[in-house]
Amino acid sequence: MNLYISCDMEGTAGVCSWTQCDPSDAHEYPIFRRYMTREVRAAIDGARDGGVRAIVVNDSHWSMRNLLLDELPEDEDLHVISGAPKPWSMMQGVDAAIDAIFFTGYHAKAGDCATLSHTFSESIYSVAVNGTPCSEALLNAALAGSYGVPVVLITGDRTIVEEATRAMPWAVGVAVKDAIGFSSVNSLTPQAACEAIRAGAREAIGRIDRARPFCFEGPFELTIETASVEHAEFIELMPGFDRIGGRSVRFTSQEYPTLLQAFIAATRIAAAANPVA
Amino acid sequence: MRLYISSDMEGVAGVCAWEQVDARRRHPDFATFQRYYTAEVKSAIEGARAGGASDVLVNDSHGPMRNLLLDELPGNVRVIFGNRKPFSMVQDGDGGFDGAFFVGYHGAAGDADAVLCHTYTPSVIYEVRINGVRCSEATLNAGLLGHYRVPLLLVTGDRTTVEGVRAQMPWVGGVIVKQSIGNFAAASMTPAAAQRAILRGAEEAIRNAGGARPYRFEPPITLDVQLATAAQAHLVATIPGFERTSSRSIRFAHDDYPVVFKAFVATWRLGAMA
Repeated sequence: MNLYISCDMEGTAGVCSWTQCDPSDAHEYPIFRRYMTREVRAAIDGARDGGVRAIVVNDSHWSMRNLLLDELPEDEDLHVISGAPKPWSMMQGVDAAIDAIFFTGYHAKAGDCATLSHTFSESIYSVAVNGTPCSEALLNAALAGSYGVPVVLITGDRTIVEEATRAMPWAVGVAVKDAIGFSSVNSLTPQAACEAIRAGAREAIGRIDRARPFCFEGPFELTIETASVEHAEFIELMPGFDRIGGRSVRFTSQEYPTLLQAFIAATRIAAAANPVA
Repeated sequence: MRLYISSDMEGVAGVCAWEQVDARRRHPDFATFQRYYTAEVKSAIEGARAGGASDVLVNDSHGPMRNLLLDELPGNVRVIFGNRKPFSMVQDGDGGFDGAFFVGYHGAAGDADAVLCHTYTPSVIYEVRINGVRCSEATLNAGLLGHYRVPLLLVTGDRTTVEGVRAQMPWVGGVIVKQSIGNFAAASMTPAAAQRAILRGAEEAIRNAGGARPYRFEPPITLDVQLATAAQAHLVATIPGFERTSSRSIRFAHDDYPVVFKAFVATWRLGAMA
């Protein structure tokens, strides 16, 4: 049984500001990266309670080197993927050899009435696959799904947990906070969140037989609305992208991994447009 | 006779240092070389007109691509001004032109004795090949114009650049305004002498246009780019359709040269993010 954990930060209990999630911040970030690490640790402990040994954790937030490694279990069955950029970003290392996926610290998609809602990059206004608006959770879950691997646990704010468990009713959801607004939350304490995550992780492993891969049906169509015209201009340079509006592009593929990699490349080339021309 | 002019700055007479052509950091010397640059473009236009060109479109193709002192140009030309054009230095080359000039051009990344040699983005692009041919900006850009059946008629710049272009396109007229001494020094004509030479060369190039041919890459077209670092190749290899051919190189193949050209633009734009 191989478990893969993709851990983000914005959906950690108590997080309500970019500052807390910004590795260049010297005051709040060191506190919240510890909370993030503890929630990941709680997910690992819960999975281990359920009988899982081999676990890969992919640090999936910002610079992707947030986890305090010496606060994770010390055994040799745990591996951590750190650093960025990675071609598959938040899902680096997922393939058919994985049996189940956890998403921890996940957050709502760009445009949602939710705390720190975004999708990969601030240059993305919205993204849809086959017409379905997508959060990072759905985009990533569909990659795992293309390898036949199910997502069995998602933790984060209530908006993303409800969206993900609607799309994947077999997954256990742990909502550690409710959004009041973009930068305010009504949250569990870190301790209570960790207890809930540990219990949720154990439950998720316990009912893994019911889990199914989440998939879109091919052929796949990606549509991206960008925050500004400049972002769409840069994305359109890449082979296979069609400009369908001032701030929108489209990409199609028979293969979902190709589509997701194109989306990740789009977020990165769009970021190159951010400095003033 | 409709003429397309793509104008760059590193190959202008006297230029031998980045500070002289850096429009963003604005060393005091930039304003001086901006005038020399504008004057060489003006000379090319006037020579072309004397040779029989009627409509002229000038694409400011250097740095932020808004360097020309517009009120010093003849009133009856059109100008493409501004940055981030998908076809960059040869934007709108598909407009039914009969010929093209490259003014102020420079050598390819890695050329010896070519002042300020580079290929689009110095920090990202180590070498570019299309169908195995080693490409300068002039080669890449001539290929796009050639796709639209527009032949290159004239190139101006340093000796290495002009000779490099004429080795690939022997029908192209050349005006050598300086001899490069390494990367950051040149034995140059004065601006006034260079402008006179460009005026004569431009007139002659238009008169000789009958012997020119479009420079074309035949499909299937393969783009091979060596990046400066492995980190850049790692990122660039995620562009749809791209293949990583070694730790610091990528490949892209397509039958349509404009798609390949845009893919190359995407390469240095994304590569710069690594």
